[in-house]
Amino acid sequence: MSLGGSQTVDSEISVPIAIATMPAPRKVKDTTERVNALEVVVRYALYIVITLFLFIPFVMTVLSSFKSSAEVIAFPPTLLPSVWHPENYLHVLTQIDGFPRMVFNSFFITFAAVALNLFFDSLVGYAFARLEFPFKNTLFAIMIATMVIPGFVFIVPRYILLLNAHLVNTYGALLVLYFLQPGYILLMTQFFKSIPRDLEEAAIVDGMGWFGIFWKIILPLARPALLATGILTFAGMWNGFFDWLLYMQSREMFNIQLGLTTFRSVYQNQWDLIMAGSVLAILPILLVYIAGQRYFVRGIATTGMK
Amino acid sequence: MAVSVAPKAPAATAKGTRRSKRGGMAIAERRAGLLFVTPYLIYFLILQLGAFAFAIWVSFHHYDLLAIDNPFVGLRNYARLTVNQDFLIAMRNTTEYAVVVVILQTVFALLLAVLLDSKIKGRNFFRSTWYTPSIASSVVISMIFLYVYHPTGLLNSILGLVGIHTTEAYLTSTTWALPALMFLAIWTTAPTFMLMFLAALQDVPKEIYEASSVDGASAVRRLFSITIPLLRPVIFLVVSLGVIGTFQVFDQMFIMTSGGPLKATLSVALLIYDNLFKDTGTVGVACAEAIVLGIVIFALTLISRRVIDTRIEY
Repeated sequence: MSLGGSQTVDSEISVPIAIATMPAPRKVKDTTERVNALEVVVRYALYIVITLFLFIPFVMTVLSSFKSSAEVIAFPPTLLPSVWHPENYLHVLTQIDGFPRMVFNSFFITFAAVALNLFFDSLVGYAFARLEFPFKNTLFAIMIATMVIPGFVFIVPRYILLLNAHLVNTYGALLVLYFLQPGYILLMTQFFKSIPRDLEEAAIVDGMGWFGIFWKIILPLARPALLATGILTFAGMWNGFFDWLLYMQSREMFNIQLGLTTFRSVYQNQWDLIMAGSVLAILPILLVYIAGQRYFVRGIATTGMK
Repeated sequence: MAVSVAPKAPAATAKGTRRSKRGGMAIAERRAGLLFVTPYLIYFLILQLGAFAFAIWVSFHHYDLLAIDNPFVGLRNYARLTVNQDFLIAMRNTTEYAVVVVILQTVFALLLAVLLDSKIKGRNFFRSTWYTPSIASSVVISMIFLYVYHPTGLLNSILGLVGIHTTEAYLTSTTWALPALMFLAIWTTAPTFMLMFLAALQDVPKEIYEASSVDGASAVRRLFSITIPLLRPVIFLVVSLGVIGTFQVFDQMFIMTSGGPLKATLSVALLIYDNLFKDTGTVGVACAEAIVLGIVIFALTLISRRVIDTRIEY
């Protein structure tokens, strides 16, 4: 398949040269060109079909969010709204009980968790990458091994633990569970191992302490890895649902995702609100994805986590 | 900082004192290392090791969140699972779901990655749009698919365009509900794994392909005889992550079908949740179920390693 790709690129460059320099074998050249042109058309058709398949539901959701509730599920269906209803968004924000608070909760926990993870994941990652201390390799091996334990094993004990710590239905529950994440410690460790040691050695000679070295010298160099950790933590926390369902019991502690699931029962078949709420719930993460795509891709490729 | 402009002789003595202090520095380094790693140590001891031990302890007890006394029942919570109809149904549904989703999403992700690993114009555009399903939350995806699967929703509208007129309510059909959720999972997860395959494909030296194309190997043959064998480690990773994810599927079932109709989409994770919060006195059962689920996932991960990692020498 990759051969097809390289051929089309090659032929684009070589065709004018071929025509100018050697007109004799043109007949043969023509047939292969036609085969290639057909292949290009088929390939692009395939790419476009896949794009539609993976992207159309989002387009239809955005368009539906501007329709009236009845028009969203009207039969026969409409593509564009017959009457645009931008006020659907206003209705989500003003008419749904506690929605602004849910937006705040989502942002608050997301930013708090990002800050905590940037600090702790890099701090622990730095120790694993650079410092010599007892049981380092054992602990690192434990961290890797425990990453594959299915999360459901921990649900009941962690719930009972946080219940007894009186953290259920508070932000504290989620911050305790997510103040660091082993996957991103691993990401930071791997990054720190790739930084040359020269700068640290100079700082050691200058008599700088280890925390000073970490904070003033290493962290500024770790921007790409910190961005990957921060963006992926943002995505994970913003999209969080299950932990909120477990730990948040009153409506004023819900996040957007959990709040959105109650639209269905409370605002029975209000498709305009469900669609507009969905767009609002995806918008921040979409903006982060567009702005930080490079780091997103790198982070997923190295940790396999979303 | 002040030392940096010191003349030659004091520098030499500074070096001398540093050497004599080397033992002291190693101690400082060890202390710093232990201090820096403490947050993870606390996390491990309480939220992983402690939680795991506590989960096993709870699974041996008749446990209730509000009760003062939780009597020891030995292996009864486990023994009961073998005759618990809900658990057996949930296990069967979950296994069926996992097998179909893991196989199809891995194949689809690999196909997407191979398509993107070529010098086609607009490659970045395709990669960005193809990845979109993976950045949306499970809740948003569920909401979108409630609309897609609605009797007069997007799916039946598209089917209508190609001449198939139906108002099938997929999510309330015992035949279609589980396949509908499988489709959703494949659609939303494959793009994540696409990125992992793509990263691995870009590490494959291009000379290998050039050599084989000189030999006249077809594109399909190259995929099966070069690309896939080289990608074995990533395929293993994708399959394991798929197994771990699918066996714990919860969100879609909870939001879209509540396990229905007639328990057709009841997953083990949903049953654990119900045992924990809806029923009383079944916290121990929930723990036993979670541990059995964990063992199943662990065993399947090992098996998939055996199957995928059969070494081929080049």
